Amino acid sequence: MVGDLLTLALPKGKLGEGAIQLLRQAGLPASGVDPEARQLVFTFPAAGARYLICRPTDVPTYVEHGAADLGIVGKDTLVEAGADVFELVDLGFGYCRFVVAAPRQRWEAAGQALENLLAGSRRVATKFPRVAAAFFQERGLPVEIIKLHGNIELAPLAGLADLIVDIVSTGRTLTENDLVEVAPIFSSTARLIANRVSYRINSQRLRPVIDALRQAATQGGAGFATNP
Amino acid sequence: MINGRNLLVPAGVRDFLPAEAAALRELEQKLVTCFQSWGYQEVLTPAFEFVATFQAGSPAGDEDSLYKFIDRQGRVLALRPEMTAPIARLVATSLRRETLPLRLCYCAPVFRFEEPRAGRQREFHQAGVELIGTGSVAADVEIIALAVEALLAAGLENFRLGIGQVAVTRGVLQGLDLPPEIVTRIKVALAGKDLVALEQIYSEYHLAGPQRRQLELLATLHGGAEALAVARQEFNQTGALAALDGLVQVWQALAACGLERWLFIDLGILRDFNYYTGIVFEGYVPGLGMPVCGGGRYDGLLGQFGYPCPATGFALGLERVLLAREEGRGPVRDGGYLVAGRDLAQVLRRAGELRRTGARVILDGESHSRGEAAARAADQGLDLLWTDD
Repeated sequence: MVGDLLTLALPKGKLGEGAIQLLRQAGLPASGVDPEARQLVFTFPAAGARYLICRPTDVPTYVEHGAADLGIVGKDTLVEAGADVFELVDLGFGYCRFVVAAPRQRWEAAGQALENLLAGSRRVATKFPRVAAAFFQERGLPVEIIKLHGNIELAPLAGLADLIVDIVSTGRTLTENDLVEVAPIFSSTARLIANRVSYRINSQRLRPVIDALRQAATQGGAGFATNP
Repeated sequence: MINGRNLLVPAGVRDFLPAEAAALRELEQKLVTCFQSWGYQEVLTPAFEFVATFQAGSPAGDEDSLYKFIDRQGRVLALRPEMTAPIARLVATSLRRETLPLRLCYCAPVFRFEEPRAGRQREFHQAGVELIGTGSVAADVEIIALAVEALLAAGLENFRLGIGQVAVTRGVLQGLDLPPEIVTRIKVALAGKDLVALEQIYSEYHLAGPQRRQLELLATLHGGAEALAVARQEFNQTGALAALDGLVQVWQALAACGLERWLFIDLGILRDFNYYTGIVFEGYVPGLGMPVCGGGRYDGLLGQFGYPCPATGFALGLERVLLAREEGRGPVRDGGYLVAGRDLAQVLRRAGELRRTGARVILDGESHSRGEAAARAADQGLDLLWTDD
């Protein structure tokens, strides 16, 4: 809370569009808020609200430090950030899945078994090293994680890695690059998160906003939800 | 050796420059004075001990966060990650014959291997108290009242102290009669305030009606006396009820002392489930993303050192308090005298006389003239005493 303003951290990009649609459905001010605009702070003094437009991976950080009271972020980003925040509501939109994928030929040669696949090749390229490491560690499979920042599907094509861990929504990118999904990790949707201190001491201010967002989310999601 | 390691410090540790060091020391002094005025005696324990001391179920004794090393006999030692376990060891050994209850306090740096974040360094300073040998309502009231006073003494004004009671949560979970693996998942979700995971558990195990309502209440009940009344009505199992009645008594006593304005009830505050056994609490300051203090009842710890007895206490994170007060710089120690002259023996003697009056005196045996010394004194904001007159 800055002064009397409740601060909400919103992600840039596609997830941000879903978030703004949800704000509208929840009856919260959203006019003129554009996650792609140059303007990064939107203030609505009458409603006592302020939005910060952040990179999606930074939303948990703003909330954890208390620079924002609430935030909207994908579960994928949240798990990867490992931030100490409260996870309040599954907002339902922004559906995607974490998967392990491998080149089709290699997968077929390995008899479609993850253990065989990893027998001689253990380099995993990903944007999500924490998620990837946890997945392989839990199964006792030693791998070498290679952190990349985008276009993960390029790594096996270029011989940089043998496997990838990435998020997919339709799976089209994988198919186009002759990759196949070999193991699911978990599925993800957008979440409403709260700073642990603000949630407790500003409870009276936060509750109505949280309830409105929860209600909007359960009443048919935020428009372009690709939830199955 | 420019750019060499000899010029850097590792991640998670830091220097305190004069103003910062002064602010920290002043805060420490205020807190210890506050604790002592409530009859708590200060103790010091070693910076490192056998690792087993810290493994005795203490909240920060998590193996991965300990700084461990091996002594020359091959035994594993660790830097202290907190002060409660060492004090429990000390009470169970050296102070075993003392009459209970014991009131002890401390002020010390502790060490944890964690990712450095705002207000979370790998070396940080804690000040706290332990009230050992009493499980009474009076002890719980005293500890919370002292926490309020300590936060006031620390110069904080807008803080709130949230109070929970882990035995209520335990009692309710037992009364629900669910398989242990679900209870474990519920505990993890409650402790991390993961309401989405709780929703998933409700639908996975078809929890509905009163079972679901009680779990929702455990996760979200928040408020004052009215929240306790709701809990009293809803949690009619015996296990939770005794603990809840204790909490009601503590709340009423604190409210009767006029402390209600600093306090609220939140059953979602659990801290470390495996360590705390009763009332727990955390102190929050607006704008700071993490609690400035925390504590509660830990009746199981002393038993692990062979001296079973109830105990409660709390600790403040001093860097967090300083951060909350937004004080990079503390009180600047200025004023005083510059004693200067060409005769060093004379300078030293006059300076000594002045210091005996309680003044702060800085020596200057290097200025060749009164004018030069006067410039130095003016530069440092000091009054000049020129001894060659």
